Amino acid sequence: MMARTDQAFMMPPSRWVGYLVALALIVAAPLVLGTPYWRGILVVCAMNVLLALSLNLVLGYTGQLNLGQSAFFAIGAYVSVILVRSHGWNFWLAMVAASAAAGVAGLLLAAFAVRLRGHYLGIASLGFAVITYQVLVNWERVTEGVRGIYGIMPPPPIVLPGLPEISFGNSLALFWLVGGIAFVVYWMLDNLVRSPVGETLRALREDEVSAASLGINGARWKAFAFGLASTIAGLAGCFYPGFVGTLVPDAFNIVESFTMLAMVIVGGMGTMIGPVIGAVVLTFLPELLRSAGELRLMIYGIALTLVVLFMPGGILQLVQIVRTRLAPRADGGGSR
Amino acid sequence: MSALLQARDLHKRFGGVRAVQGISLEVEADSVFALIGPNGAGKSTMMNLLSGTYQPDAGELVFGGVSLAGLPAYRRARLGIARTFQKIRLFRQLSLLDNVLAGFHLHHKVPAWQYLFPAAAFWRDWRTCREEAMALLDFVGLADRAHERAGALAYGQQRLLEIARALATRPRLFMLDEPAAGLNGGEVEFLLGRLREMGTRGITVVVVEHNMELVMNVADHVFVMDHGEYLFQGTPAEVQANPAVIAAYLGGEFA
Repeated sequence: MMARTDQAFMMPPSRWVGYLVALALIVAAPLVLGTPYWRGILVVCAMNVLLALSLNLVLGYTGQLNLGQSAFFAIGAYVSVILVRSHGWNFWLAMVAASAAAGVAGLLLAAFAVRLRGHYLGIASLGFAVITYQVLVNWERVTEGVRGIYGIMPPPPIVLPGLPEISFGNSLALFWLVGGIAFVVYWMLDNLVRSPVGETLRALREDEVSAASLGINGARWKAFAFGLASTIAGLAGCFYPGFVGTLVPDAFNIVESFTMLAMVIVGGMGTMIGPVIGAVVLTFLPELLRSAGELRLMIYGIALTLVVLFMPGGILQLVQIVRTRLAPRADGGGSR
Repeated sequence: MSALLQARDLHKRFGGVRAVQGISLEVEADSVFALIGPNGAGKSTMMNLLSGTYQPDAGELVFGGVSLAGLPAYRRARLGIARTFQKIRLFRQLSLLDNVLAGFHLHHKVPAWQYLFPAAAFWRDWRTCREEAMALLDFVGLADRAHERAGALAYGQQRLLEIARALATRPRLFMLDEPAAGLNGGEVEFLLGRLREMGTRGITVVVVEHNMELVMNVADHVFVMDHGEYLFQGTPAEVQANPAVIAAYLGGEFA
């Protein structure tokens, strides 16, 4: 009856293969897309993957509508830059502190999630993002407001004994850094959602009352999901300023929250790989449509609407439909 | 006296409706306790008061010597109180197996870091939980459908799955809210057998039920409510013979 009772194995081979392919893609992508322009897009793509992964933990696995993810991205970016520039912190230390700050802000929002459901939580989280944006604009003494912060350096080079210095001044090394971090975060989240923690979060998503009847403390686990997700979004934010070189509040307009939402939904929320696909597609699609000029936003908008209308499970659903058509007897063990 | 659960003078009102008025009861350990009454008698409210879904306006609740006052549902689950719902509340998008696995929430013995980096303790827990979950699914006759979506089950099977999920919490007290509602004759027979089996496994059962056949067959003690108030209690035979109970049922809805 039991499919896998053998304790000797640790992870099914298909997962190892998937991880190896992903690593190979991360290594190869900036070598294939060799121009600085496309390498820059790749860096943005890696950050978007981190953001989509983080939002999906709250939205897809825990079932909490969060329209304010851009706020945590902003907190990560601003806190890391301010710590480095005004307080002389080492970038890597500032990165840890900024991610933690975003995580604490996430706990704050979680306090609302305990009381509010569905659309009400959506509005509250949106409000949270608007407030964060306004603070960035108006707290000029610290954030420089709309004037922005200029001349931000990329992460300092890593010096390992016996190896050439790794400098992040070029987008090749920066992509490998952020892409590598996205890979590690994916791997850890993948383990997490397959563990009893994932079972708990999904139970909360499906029905809070029966989750409570099983001993699940809803408030605590929502706080966990919000805290972890915003920490990851903050981590992504740490790499943004050094890559662009400047930091202005407009980069964290609430529209960004909806772009992240679109990545998760278009890819397929509540799955691990779906949001990654969504982030990649929605990063590259606008670039590929650049030649379409004025029509670009229209095509983008129509494509998005079509996906939401006809494929609520996102691109991943399309892949699964095609796969079941081709192979009539596939295993039905999805964990959506 | 070895009462596992004691309620003293419980009151609960919703606006102007007095759903439960001064109910006191004692549930003996290792027995099957049935709570019956016509529609609107306050049975489901009692169930929600006992499980912590609602808090009483007044009255005391003691479980195994511990006061339940103010404890939310998830804390009561930790003490060993499990329940099913009158209106079925499954994790519909999840597989049967995942529904039951969620019930082991309180019983994982894995160091937290192993949720990110699975090692020996994680896989040991992973394996035992799946084996136990399959055993529970087998207990309610659904093992062969473990990987189907819970929402795809027929109504009666959903009730059985809810029982398996609740049993995964390893309860001392198991409360079932109308478990036989919507079940066909064969399924009721099966359920009867399972309830008796739980009794032999050291699980005290409280059952709210409309189905008289089930109550008379399985209950050690029957407690009758009407209009939120105490009406009568005793053995099934005594209840069946009691004129007040008969009047309440004939006056209200036929059971």
